[in-house]
Amino acid sequence: MARVGVFVCFCGANIADYVDVPQVVEEVKRIKEVKFATEYKYMCSDPGQGMIRDAIVQYKLTSIVVAACSPRMHEKTFRKALSDAGMNPYLLEVANIREHSSWVHQKNKKAATDKAMDLCRMAVAKSIANEQLHEISVPVTKRALVIGGGIAGIQAALDIADARIPVVLVERSPSIGGKMAQLDETFPTLDCAQCILTPKMVDVASHPYIELIPYSEVIELQGFVGNYKVKIRKKASYVNFKTCTGCGACWQKCPVKVPNEYNMGIDKRKAIYTPFPQAVPNKPVIDAEHCTMLLKGKCGICAKVCDKGSIDYTMQDEIIEREIGAVVVATGYDMWDPKPYEEYGVGRFKDIITSLEFERMVSANGPTNGLPLRPSDGKVPKNVVFIKCVGSRDEAKGIEYCSKICCMYTTKHTILLHHKVHGSHAYVFYMDIRAAGKGYEEFVKKAQVDTGTTYLRGRVSKIYKKGDKLMVRGEDAQIGQVVEVEADLVVLATAVSAPKDNPDLARLLGISYDKYGYLSEAHPKLRPVETAKAGIFLAGCTQAPKDIPETVSQASACAAKVCGLFAGDTMKKDPMISTINNEYCSGCQNCLNVCPYGAIVTDDVPVGHGSKDLRTVAKINEGVCQGCGSCVAICRSMAINLAGFTDPQIINEIVSI
Amino acid sequence: MNYTNQIQEIAAKLFAEGKIDVFVGYRMNGFDDNQVPVLITGPQDVSKLVFTDKSVFNLVNYLKTDHTRKKRVGLVVKGCDSRALNLMLTEKQVKRENLYVVGICCEGVVDDAGQKMQNCLECIVPEAVVYDELLGTAGKAETRAYKVNVDIAALAEKPLTERAAYFEEVFENCIRCNACRHSCPLCYCAKCCIDQETAALYNGANTTSAAFHALMTWSLHLAGRCVDCRNCEKACPSHLPLHLLHKQNESVIYENFQEHLAGVIPDDRGAFYKYSLKDPDDFIM
Repeated sequence: MARVGVFVCFCGANIADYVDVPQVVEEVKRIKEVKFATEYKYMCSDPGQGMIRDAIVQYKLTSIVVAACSPRMHEKTFRKALSDAGMNPYLLEVANIREHSSWVHQKNKKAATDKAMDLCRMAVAKSIANEQLHEISVPVTKRALVIGGGIAGIQAALDIADARIPVVLVERSPSIGGKMAQLDETFPTLDCAQCILTPKMVDVASHPYIELIPYSEVIELQGFVGNYKVKIRKKASYVNFKTCTGCGACWQKCPVKVPNEYNMGIDKRKAIYTPFPQAVPNKPVIDAEHCTMLLKGKCGICAKVCDKGSIDYTMQDEIIEREIGAVVVATGYDMWDPKPYEEYGVGRFKDIITSLEFERMVSANGPTNGLPLRPSDGKVPKNVVFIKCVGSRDEAKGIEYCSKICCMYTTKHTILLHHKVHGSHAYVFYMDIRAAGKGYEEFVKKAQVDTGTTYLRGRVSKIYKKGDKLMVRGEDAQIGQVVEVEADLVVLATAVSAPKDNPDLARLLGISYDKYGYLSEAHPKLRPVETAKAGIFLAGCTQAPKDIPETVSQASACAAKVCGLFAGDTMKKDPMISTINNEYCSGCQNCLNVCPYGAIVTDDVPVGHGSKDLRTVAKINEGVCQGCGSCVAICRSMAINLAGFTDPQIINEIVSI
Repeated sequence: MNYTNQIQEIAAKLFAEGKIDVFVGYRMNGFDDNQVPVLITGPQDVSKLVFTDKSVFNLVNYLKTDHTRKKRVGLVVKGCDSRALNLMLTEKQVKRENLYVVGICCEGVVDDAGQKMQNCLECIVPEAVVYDELLGTAGKAETRAYKVNVDIAALAEKPLTERAAYFEEVFENCIRCNACRHSCPLCYCAKCCIDQETAALYNGANTTSAAFHALMTWSLHLAGRCVDCRNCEKACPSHLPLHLLHKQNESVIYENFQEHLAGVIPDDRGAFYKYSLKDPDDFIM
């Protein structure tokens, strides 16, 4: 005979104001299996939990119903209370009389009370059929995959590897470094990006616990938290990295010139190239789209000049498989293409450039030796207009969100211009100056004073050409007048946008993404690093625009999460998973088709006891099953049951009302 | 429509070549001009085989038995039967390599009174869709557009109370013998959910509501799968109009799920068992 204890919570006034709690208690006492029922102001508090613990012992209860808030909130708390009293935690049922009753029926206390009583009756009926369940242990593969080798991926990989956990770092381009490697100096301290980044890049390459796989992409992820299998396509580099010394003879002699992506196409690179001198690994790859040898079978100069014989034109893409336990996604961001801003003459006027192009020009290792030059005539500009929020905060043409970093990098650009071109003058058209961050506001203030930059609050409506100058017409909202500024160079602070491949990657990994293409975190405030899929974490701009300090913090947070996940040899998993009754299974395999996790396989079992004749039935992989119940619903034979939601439990619930 | 000679020849040839262990066909019942299914185990009985417009049963049902399981089987299928076979193949109940299928370009079968069966009059897939050998001329049969079953259409005209009363009256006659289930090729579960002890939801009482509950469950498990062979109706000793349950589901699915018809396309699991972006969702609140 079942002995059920019912504990009804006031939740302060949250429930008690709209549900007659004492009446609910009286009502449930009338159910014959209920041996104890009581109420309390805060059931989740320590005294509240104490009442549960005491009642379990005193009344020899066999299952517990807590009528309170959503099980998402406190199911774990109450399960713990059961465990502490020596009871199996899965003998608990939570009747959600807050979200499902008091909060949604605030205008009708009688109806809310009736509904609360129904919910309690259902929970009591269900709990009678509850079975003792035990957490499942799943072995863990202690190796992490980091996708993307920008500062986020580098930091995450280093932190995880420092905990002596092997890391596989996959980078799409020939070198790690990402966007940060393209930057000159970084706000708000103006330290040189290369100087702080390249040591970390070298650390990655030399770390005994990091396997760096550059020039490759993740193409498949299978499995589940702790036990993923990843397939990586290593693109053919046509250079044997084992023998190549990175001497550079090949790219010096290569006759093919291609716009240099690292320098935003301002200068040229060769068809065999390293992206930049500090690249890691510092080995060249052949760009198959432009190499004459690969395209037409003629040339072969690089192979001739390579005294190590490292060039191999027959090299093929290679598929690498690794077993991993967790994934950190750090695919960074793209610069937004300002094409929609036709009124600015984007694409028509050469002397309108984007912020990253300006950044490359003023960089010490840039294509112009650190001097900003007008693309049209190569002259040094005197008057430079910076336009902020190009794409950002623009619902009509761009993106609704604030890209977060443009205010700061534009301030930095005015300083760099001031340093590099004496006698220059910067104008900044802005909507707001957003400088929230440690030392940011001070940085902006100081820059404004030191550089004497003219800040104009307002949008630019038009840019037109006058002689070899650009006339920038905009509004100065503070004086309420239209102003025109004569500019030698216009720099657009283009928005940060999600990598265009993110949706594909999200589908591949089985995680979600938002309307902009940024990958979604599990909870915007309390779980900003995790995704909804266990064991997959997010670092850096792939989640939302961020500056470097934030990106690095999040990457380290990811590392902490990965280390936490790998702390034990096995992982605990909720026992709410499907089980198959072989006797009833007809082997139609409908469940295989509906399972979103690939958790069901086929198995051959004897037709009868001791029989050698076999028949095919479905089999659940315990580690993979997430307990969604799709297979249960699809099974005509009713051969599948979900632990914690078995047919007897559900039928008891239905019959009770 | 008479393929008796061809089928006898094919069966004899298959036995002679050792390609099959058993052959499932029709024979005369021995006392009137109606036929019954027959399972032939060797060439000596081949002469019993017949096939005419009296060959009404869906022989795919006999692939569920121990007599045919794990054996190489020769089988005669009409259009509707072949659709059931397609579903049996899709749902992994039989192996294609174990079968030799004689498909028929069906011109419709007749009932005891010699009248063409209602499902044949409405049939839009008369020719076998899966076969090793096809008898008859493809394309000869009348081509029809899908239309809602005449009985369903007539019932739909009536007010709800009248319809309820009609069903109450008709299904009162159910004696819960489960012949409908046993005669259905697609009811192959090891243990029917209605018989499971754990499922206290279904009771075994011989009441109209219990019978109707069981039949509704049955028809929903066949929704998007029923091929309208009417084996169940032929088997029902109480002559229940079971097609009403299935044809209603069929027309709803045909209308809402891209003109889906059960078993016509190989490896098509049916409307309830696959997901498509085109699936209607206007009924979801």
